[in-house]
Amino acid sequence: MDNLLDISFLIESFPIIVARLPITVGIAVGSMILSLFIGLATALIKIYQVPVLKTISSFYVSFIRGTPLLVQIYLVFYGIPKVIYYLQTEYGWLLNIDVNIIAPEIYALLAFSINLGAYLSETIRSAIESVDRGQFEAAKAIGMSPTQMMLKIIFPQALAVAIPNLGNMFISTIKDTSLVFIIGVIDIMGQAKILGSRGLAFFEVYIAVSIVYWILCIIVERLLVKIEKRARRYERGVA
Amino acid sequence: MIKLENIHKYYDHQHVLKGINLSVNKGEVVSILGPSGSGKSTLLRCINFLEDPSSGTVEISGKKVDVESASKTDILSLRTSTGMVFQQYNLFKNLTVLQNVMIGLTSVKQLNPVDAKKESIDILERVGLQDRLNHYPAQLSGGQQQRVGIARALALKPEVLLFDEPTSSLDPELVDEVLAVIKNVASEGNTMLIVTHELNFAREISDRVVFMESGIILEEGTAEQIFTNPRIERTKKFLSKAIR
Repeated sequence: MDNLLDISFLIESFPIIVARLPITVGIAVGSMILSLFIGLATALIKIYQVPVLKTISSFYVSFIRGTPLLVQIYLVFYGIPKVIYYLQTEYGWLLNIDVNIIAPEIYALLAFSINLGAYLSETIRSAIESVDRGQFEAAKAIGMSPTQMMLKIIFPQALAVAIPNLGNMFISTIKDTSLVFIIGVIDIMGQAKILGSRGLAFFEVYIAVSIVYWILCIIVERLLVKIEKRARRYERGVA
Repeated sequence: MIKLENIHKYYDHQHVLKGINLSVNKGEVVSILGPSGSGKSTLLRCINFLEDPSSGTVEISGKKVDVESASKTDILSLRTSTGMVFQQYNLFKNLTVLQNVMIGLTSVKQLNPVDAKKESIDILERVGLQDRLNHYPAQLSGGQQQRVGIARALALKPEVLLFDEPTSSLDPELVDEVLAVIKNVASEGNTMLIVTHELNFAREISDRVVFMESGIILEEGTAEQIFTNPRIERTKKFLSKAIR
């Protein structure tokens, strides 16, 4: 009689899947960092109403929010090599790039950064705008430059406000990285698929990979609680 | 020391300052009194460009700025030569008491952190908060926060201190500690321009008093003259509760 689960296969697949964890974490962390810059830039463009750029950035945000991530990954994966090739042949630009050897991980990182950046844009904008107007005035009144004001006073306070949202988005991103297999990146999900088809034991490997995602997200959530506590330490009313 | 000439301010079509002329001499303490909405806070905030004045000139220590053609450098120089104390304290919430006072010295005056720290501690001693250096604003009472606000303004050694209703947000029992600090700052010979509703305090501390209503200065004179013998009926009526 067949067993419901091939337990030994499930257990054996764990270390092989976990070995791909750096790819999953790398794409998630890397795109989070890049997208913070994109989100910050577009947020500031919107807050300061920079002409031309504000139109471009609101077009970008609208497009990304209005199309599926899966489609965006394909667009980056198929579009960027074509654009680079076109620039090389038509204008002689970017000749030091060989489009045939760009790793799919790079496309994945780009696609996720572009996607997440658009979502972070609104989060960061509202966090900056939530900082009390008096904080801006006090910084101006003592003669701080706009850059000093932003770096030393406004961003730290905005960050404390934004962290819960940023954390949720980061956790979503970790899970969304399971899509990168479609462009040939072998992350934990990709590895699970390969193992599953090799042993014809898909149920087992998907159980294994879901446990890996779950544990990863639990660890990240714990870390986020600590980071949030630290970022908001100044808000506690008691010494 | 500080001289305002023909300052006008419009919010859209509302004319809130209608040609204010005011000068404050070095070491002088001048209070601006008047009902709410008279434009007195706006006037103060026009001096350091927290509000952009619509027209007129602002002169501090001989440096005259035409507000309509003020450059970024002009505005910065007005801001560094004034120190402002806010009604809502506006301490930097993410910084400790010591950092709040130090930050102007290190980031605006480019002083090294060791000297900045020493100077800041000295100033915080003067406002009686030397034992709260590492507290965050949220851990302080309103009165303590406002004393830090005064220390922060003093740290940059401005030519003029601007007080924008410094006690209006305080619980009544905390008002006195802040007024005592302000009085102390005045006795050290600082040039001060104070917008306040504390009439008795204004009478006691001021060399001169200015009475404003509807964006114009109705009357100005020595504290004694304004409080005991105002020329205008409106001033008399406004001050009646203090004169009693």
